[in-house]
Parts: sequence; structure tokens; C-alpha cells
Amino acid sequence: MDTVSLALIAMCCFAVLTAFAALFTKDTFYSALYMSVTLVTIAGMFALNNVQPVFVLITFIFVGAIGAVTFALAAMYRDPRPKIQIDFVWFIPAIITFGAIFNAIFGFKNVSSVFTGSEVSAFVERYAVFALFFFALAILLMLSVVKFVRREEV
Amino acid sequence: MMVYVTLVTSAAILLIAYVMAMSSKELVRLLISLELMFGAVFLALMPLFTIPNLTTQAFSIAVLTIFTSGGELMILIAAMVTFSKKFRSISTDDVVAGGDKI
Repeated sequence: MDTVSLALIAMCCFAVLTAFAALFTKDTFYSALYMSVTLVTIAGMFALNNVQPVFVLITFIFVGAIGAVTFALAAMYRDPRPKIQIDFVWFIPAIITFGAIFNAIFGFKNVSSVFTGSEVSAFVERYAVFALFFFALAILLMLSVVKFVRREEV
Repeated sequence: MMVYVTLVTSAAILLIAYVMAMSSKELVRLLISLELMFGAVFLALMPLFTIPNLTTQAFSIAVLTIFTSGGELMILIAAMVTFSKKFRSISTDDVVAGGDKI
């Protein structure tokens, strides 16, 4: 097994561990921190496989922008008496679902993989109109959210 | 093999996020669980980049997913802030939809 594969397995284990930490930690603020570490690790896996544009997008948007807002909210509504808020009964349907998904994934066990990276320039050439409309849609969405919050303030 | 490991990790993170969402007692934890779910979805996209003829399409799907989920989380954050201002609470017990307590 080569170094990249070993690093990928280590990062997968680390991502699952930090996700568990986000689930089991008592304090919401630390939960947000662990969640960000999980997302950075996921983004790192893309970088490891030569897909750097997706690494940049996930890190900027999910860790930089939304992650920062989540930190702020978690710090603002921090419970002075933190407690674990897990209903363990929900583990039963979760394990059944995991079994079903694992069964579906099992077919990919022997699929060989060679990551080839992404071509941003080809994306811009082929999907220029798509990108333009998507950008316009994102701006419209942000404007409607601002309008919604302002209307509720009145 | 690597595709398999990636997909299993994605499923594991998704299910951790499901348990977190279903058992969360406050909206901040719900937001964190949603972000974890989107992280799992991004990870599930990774095998698409192993097909040489589909890398551009895979990148466009990744961009679409990242921006759509970002917009969705932004709406949830706005709703949460408004909810907090109105009810002075972020507990999921106070969330009422269609006359039923969630």
C-alpha cells in the first residue's frame, strides 16, 4: 500500500473520530470546533488526491464562513451547565440504516481508483452559463434572507 | 479499495450526524449536525474524481453541492437568529410547526 493510501485511511479514521467527538462532547462550542476539524479533514482528503479546488471551496465556505458563524452562535448560546444531549434509542435505527448503506457500498470493495484531479479551466469553458446563473441565484438567495431577517425585526 | 474506504467513512459520518440531529435538544447542535451531513455528502463525491472522463462534471457537481448546502445552512442560521429573537430560546422543544410540537 502506498503512502497516499495510508494517509487517506489515517485521515478517514481521524474524520470519524472527530465526528464522534462532536457528537459526544458536552459543550456546544467544542462540538462546533470538532465539526470544523472534521470538515477540514474531509477537505484535506480532496487535497491529498489532487483535487485542490474542492479543498479551497470547502475550507473557505464551510470552515471559514459558515464555520465561523456556527462558532459565534455556539459561543453566544453556550450552556453554563453543559450536558450530553444524546438519546441513545436513536442508535438502533441508525445502526439498521448503516447496515443497509454498508451493504450497498460493499460492491465497491474491489474497485481500483486513480485520482486524476480536476480541471477548473475546462469547467469554466463548458459551464460558463451554469456558473453565471448559479452566482445570480446565490445573490438572490442572500438578498431574500436579508429581507426575511429585516422583516422579522420590524 | 480506496473508493470503498472513502464511501464507508462517508456513511459513518452521515450516520453520526443523523444521530446528532435526531437527538439534539437545541438548534445549534442541529446546525452542527447538518454541516456534518454535508461533509459526508462531499466525501461521497470523491470517487467521481477517479473517473478520468468525468472530472469536469464531478467538479461541477461538487460546486453545485457546496453552494446549495451553503445557501441552505445560511437560511437555517437566519431562521435560528430570528427564532432566538422572538422566543428568547434556541431549544428544539419550543419549535412549533403546523400546530404540532416537534
